[in-house]
Amino acid sequence: MRIPILKLHNYLLVSIQVDLDDQTAIRFQEDLLDKIHKSGATGVVIDLTSVDIIDSFIAKVLGDVVTMSDLMGAKVVLTGIQPAVAMTLIDLGVHMQNVPTALNLEQGLIKLRQELEE
Amino acid sequence: MPEVLRRIVLEHSDEVAAKWLKEIAEKRKGDYTSSISTELYESTNREFVNNIFASIDHPDEIAKLDAFAERIINLGWPLSYITDGLQSFRRVTIDFILTESSSVETVEFSKILTVVDDWVEPIIKQLVNQYSGNWEHTVSLQRLALQELSAPLIPVMENITIMPLIGTIDTERAKQIMENLLEGVMKHNSEVVLMDITGVPVVDTMVAHHIIQAAEAVRLIGATCILVGIRPEIAQTIVNLGIDLSNFPTKSSLRKGFQSALEITNREIVNLDNSTNDMTDILDSLK
Amino acid sequence: MEIKSCVKIRKEWDIVSARQMGREMAKELGFGTVDQARIATAISELARNIYLYAEDGQIDYEVITEVNRRGIKITAHDNGPGIEDLGRVMEDGYSTSGGLGAGLPGVKRLMNHFDLQSEPGKGTTVTAIKWVR
Repeated sequence: MRIPILKLHNYLLVSIQVDLDDQTAIRFQEDLLDKIHKSGATGVVIDLTSVDIIDSFIAKVLGDVVTMSDLMGAKVVLTGIQPAVAMTLIDLGVHMQNVPTALNLEQGLIKLRQELEE
Repeated sequence: MPEVLRRIVLEHSDEVAAKWLKEIAEKRKGDYTSSISTELYESTNREFVNNIFASIDHPDEIAKLDAFAERIINLGWPLSYITDGLQSFRRVTIDFILTESSSVETVEFSKILTVVDDWVEPIIKQLVNQYSGNWEHTVSLQRLALQELSAPLIPVMENITIMPLIGTIDTERAKQIMENLLEGVMKHNSEVVLMDITGVPVVDTMVAHHIIQAAEAVRLIGATCILVGIRPEIAQTIVNLGIDLSNFPTKSSLRKGFQSALEITNREIVNLDNSTNDMTDILDSLK
Repeated sequence: MEIKSCVKIRKEWDIVSARQMGREMAKELGFGTVDQARIATAISELARNIYLYAEDGQIDYEVITEVNRRGIKITAHDNGPGIEDLGRVMEDGYSTSGGLGAGLPGVKRLMNHFDLQSEPGKGTTVTAIKWVR
């Protein structure tokens, strides 16, 4: 299973709609970095609205993706994290402190634009 | 109960009761019950002692005792009225039986003690159970009332929401508050939430921990949480306890918090009523 | 004790089926969405531990009923290498696999009751209970 990555101007849009298993998550990490490299995108929005479980492993993969993309010059914003998921992450002790977030795709794009303009 | 003892007790029930009433009346001086009218007190005492004697022949008849306990509870009399009363009743009865019976051998003595205990203990047990059952009921009602007090979420403006917190926060409530908060943020699509802790009396490490967790969860779903209503003493305790709140914005008052909420959402308040201009006009005209 | 079922953990995909099973059960028991996520996440952590360290084990699910409450009991057990230092694994941030080190202490926070038993060389059993609120 592969997660589709869409390109829009110099942004990449990703909507994760499957229950992430470890393999899919790792492959997604590779695919996204590859795509950033090829397209030269400066911003990425990863929408997690339909994800109803993030455990510490997936959280680590997502956090790593953000840091790695940063290294490659692309800002990543995570959007649409569900309340139940957020609370579970906090209980787990996973705070994802250096990961930018936004309520939804729209605000994620606004946030990216703001950050890139600065 | 052995027939001999039973006869002694029942035949002299009036005397025992009288002695007990006297002792109870003595005790009452300077007691919690001193505010109760003498009439009510005495009639209740009499009912009490009658119930005790009735239980000799009908130890299984608990309905009467239950009704009595319920009345005492409704009157708001303390549990110690019942326990003290029965304690002295036991003493009075044993005293009485000992003076009545001719032989005071050790064996006999302990037998009397056991018999009277067997008589009085079940009554104490039953009444205390009634009392504690009543308390548990009250406690569960109060817990429910506290849950209903959970924090409401008020959308004041597009993208800005306020959650006033009132009262003591424990772990259970904190979880509920967090759920309300996050669901509300999603529902109202709020970019900024102002969490107002003006109404929280004490902020200790645990409360601060819950607040920080809530703020971090809010950040995860993509909004900003501003903590407002930090009173001087709260600021002092937070620093003295070594709690680190530097990672998210705090403001002393709701007004200041609202101001920064407006800034975050790229808005500002414009004064339509230009009274300040009028003032300068007046001053200018005086020149 | 009423319903009892189990999921074997051998492949990576079993982690996903294990947590889906837990979520289904939690839903039927009347847990709210947040607690469903908590339970599913806890199972995910436990299943991953089995997969990573023991390679073979299973997760049991039980519905437990007490006088005034109902809950779900999750038992994860394996015959793997066991845990050397029980104190260390309950510390936040301690990891031997390069993960976040949030696994076991996280599970403890996600659930109401948590018990860990392990013997080096013999295996590990983790029991966790969550009550319906």
